[in-house]
Amino acid sequence: MSKPHYDREHHVKKASGIGDPQCFKGEAPEAMFKVGDKVRIKDLPDLFYTRTQGYTRGAEATVTELVYESPPAEDESWDNTENVEWFYSVVFDMKELWPDYPDTFSSDTVETEIPEHYLEAC
Amino acid sequence: MLPPVRQKVMRHLNIVGQLQPALHEQTHAPSPDMIDNAHFRAYTRSAHDVGGEADISITWEEKEEEVWEHNTFVTCEVLAWRGVWNAEERRRRQNVEVGQTIYLGLPYYGRWLLTAAKILVDKQFITATELQEKVAEVRKRYE
Repeated sequence: MSKPHYDREHHVKKASGIGDPQCFKGEAPEAMFKVGDKVRIKDLPDLFYTRTQGYTRGAEATVTELVYESPPAEDESWDNTENVEWFYSVVFDMKELWPDYPDTFSSDTVETEIPEHYLEAC
Repeated sequence: MLPPVRQKVMRHLNIVGQLQPALHEQTHAPSPDMIDNAHFRAYTRSAHDVGGEADISITWEEKEEEVWEHNTFVTCEVLAWRGVWNAEERRRRQNVEVGQTIYLGLPYYGRWLLTAAKILVDKQFITATELQEKVAEVRKRYE
């Protein structure tokens, strides 16, 4: 047989009536970080696919919320959904991301969601 | 005077020659030592990761979605419902796998539609020749 055979509806069955990422609730290992923790975004290779923005790599941020559990985008986009991890909402000072950002707006921030395997304590 | 099909070919070659290259540097058939790690990363990065790139501003226009755009959206959602892809695979395919030229060059739902056709071929639900024949058949209606 030249065509692959697998249950292509496995995700639909799992998520129907529950939603995604709600259907992965409880599947992640214990969270490594908590609200208020300072984290740095790892500069991991982004070959083929990522949703962790290049401009965040190596920058420091503060965890504001543990938002949900999900496979990371890199895995889920090939339908690999076994390895679930926590996603964190983290906030950056604009000046941390863009060194030339005007001092007039020094309190500006940007907040985004990052999966746990991209974070390290700092 | 060239026959119409040859005129179309010549116009095509003229357009593709002008499409924006990935980098504004000499890019054709580089020798391996011309691609350092930084250039490798630039070429292979996810095309949708544009944050921080210098660019000109885009004019904001309030615009209703067209019927074909709604139909495209529904088709793609039904493909997910039937297990052909999940939302993340759809995004990877329509934002990254298409490459930078198409990512920047085609309308938003144009990329959705192109990608819907592509995954049906990639996952062997239809064959490339079936798609070719169908597109040719539909095109004939407008000739």
